[in-house]
Amino acid sequence: MYKLIIKLAFNNAFLRLSRTLLVIIMIAVSMSMMLSLQGLYDGMTISMIDKTKRSDSGEISLYNKNYRVSKALKDNIPNATSIAEKLEKRSDVNAVVLRLKAEGLSSTARKSAFSTVIGIELNAEEKFGEFDLFLKSGELRLDKRGALLGSELAKTLKVKIGSKVIFSTQDSSGEINAMSLRVRGIVQTGNISLDNSAVYVERKKLQNFLGVSANEATQIAIRTDSLVLQDELTQTYKNLDVKSFLELYPMMKQMQEVMIVFTSITFFIVMMVVFIGIMGVMYVSILDRIREFGIMRSIGMSYALIRSQIFLEALFVGTLGYIFGAVLGLLALLYLQTYGLDLGAYADGMESFGYSSVLYATIKLSYFSSTFIAIIGASLLSVLLPLRKIKTMNSIEVTKVDI
Amino acid sequence: MIKIQNLNKYFYKGQERELHALRDINLEIKKGEYALLTGPSGCGKTTLLNAIGALDGIDSGEIYLDEREISSLSEDERTTIRLNEMGFVFQAYNLIPVLTVEENIGFIMKLRGFSDEEISKRVKEVATLLEIDNKLKSLPSNLSGGQQQRVAVARAVAPKPKIILADEPTANLDSKNSKALMDMMKSLNEKEGISIVFASHDEYVMQSVKRIIKLKDGAIVES
Repeated sequence: MYKLIIKLAFNNAFLRLSRTLLVIIMIAVSMSMMLSLQGLYDGMTISMIDKTKRSDSGEISLYNKNYRVSKALKDNIPNATSIAEKLEKRSDVNAVVLRLKAEGLSSTARKSAFSTVIGIELNAEEKFGEFDLFLKSGELRLDKRGALLGSELAKTLKVKIGSKVIFSTQDSSGEINAMSLRVRGIVQTGNISLDNSAVYVERKKLQNFLGVSANEATQIAIRTDSLVLQDELTQTYKNLDVKSFLELYPMMKQMQEVMIVFTSITFFIVMMVVFIGIMGVMYVSILDRIREFGIMRSIGMSYALIRSQIFLEALFVGTLGYIFGAVLGLLALLYLQTYGLDLGAYADGMESFGYSSVLYATIKLSYFSSTFIAIIGASLLSVLLPLRKIKTMNSIEVTKVDI
Repeated sequence: MIKIQNLNKYFYKGQERELHALRDINLEIKKGEYALLTGPSGCGKTTLLNAIGALDGIDSGEIYLDEREISSLSEDERTTIRLNEMGFVFQAYNLIPVLTVEENIGFIMKLRGFSDEEISKRVKEVATLLEIDNKLKSLPSNLSGGQQQRVAVARAVAPKPKIILADEPTANLDSKNSKALMDMMKSLNEKEGISIVFASHDEYVMQSVKRIIKLKDGAIVES
């Protein structure tokens, strides 16, 4: 019996081939666009989170309990080096960096701007977050006077590679001191606060300049895949402030949530298009065949079997649309993952929000599974109205139609 | 086999244009009968045929099929009765366009759960009787009107129903095909012993049947 129902459903689904193909194309195109948008939205968020982790927080960062409020040099971690050494020995830690930060003023002959000098070790930063990928121009070199400037700060100060910058701040003894720096490179981390204010120098040089010991640092940042490390470190280092990435950047969490809302809205719109498309076609198809259904009812075919046939018809169309959409969407995602979407024309605006001007998509299996459920759901729901038409039809009236 | 008592049927009941379509119909159709409901247009022959076939509800009275009252059954129960006990032939053939002739003829048998073997054997048998055995793999759209009506008859006959109800089966056929169809139906009635009731005013049908039931203004005037 079910073989016959399947045959009826299949043959009827493709009875008006051009109409069915149109719906399949509509589903496929809508779905591939949906997948691309989903991939790009996720790509944007993931890229931003990744850059923030690589350039600053890692997955976990350790600070002196008072540092994040006071930002004062005295509120540093005095035994940072030994803590970092212990952490590096752990198997669940991928990389550790020490950073020394001090807020001050960067000046050129014509401009000045509030900034944060950050003492780093390039090799450790490279291992921690592939720092070389942040280099926008110049070279990645921190020799004795060398400095790397955040891209927005460089714009504010109107400096180029080789320009001289004076950074002045209060040292550990409370004296105002200044150091002369030469711009070796300009970096764009995608982390707005760093791009707006960071002046990277050699950590040892900054320690000397600020008058702090070699063991001291204001931040210990950790890369890890462990989900329990933060709790463990909180227990171990009770005198330190142990913060996760999301605690340090709560905006990122909100951004993720906003992106989920955007994706959901887009998803809903696409599914409505699919729903209305299939419903329209199924409704017209059923109206075309209303006499046939009247006959089926008259000769004894139950409504349940007719309903199964109609559901199967919608399922065939929806599934084919999904398959083509998945292939098309995957190709679009692969392209966007490899070559990205170049929005160079909006680069300034996007970069000021921390987004790269070239957006790269991510690909997740969940895109395909959630779209499958949605398309099949939309397909099945779309026949409810046409089915109502069949349920309420008068078999005698519809079979009277002239041939 | 079919017994109708005091059947009344109205259209647009309670409205200004109310029509008393069937009036106090009392009728009995015995097993193996070959009968015709006839009368002028609008006399109620198709309405009565639909009532007998449990296709349409009635307003009062009873319809018995083998002692079972069928007019008061639910739509699902009536669908089951139509499937298992009755066969229908319609004026407009009403075949399923996406199925072959063979599948159309075997369609009701399939719904009734006959095995593929039984269906195949019976389809060939009926198709041979109706001279459409060379068209079994064709789609209905490739057949002439007369051939399509024969397929519709074969579909109704194949599961061996107790009764076949045929509404104007020759209305869309030319005289040659009408005569051929009626000859075949008569032969089916005689060979298979199936009761057949027509609703028609076609002279070929009138000449063919053994019993004529005349209706006028919704009432039986001659039986």
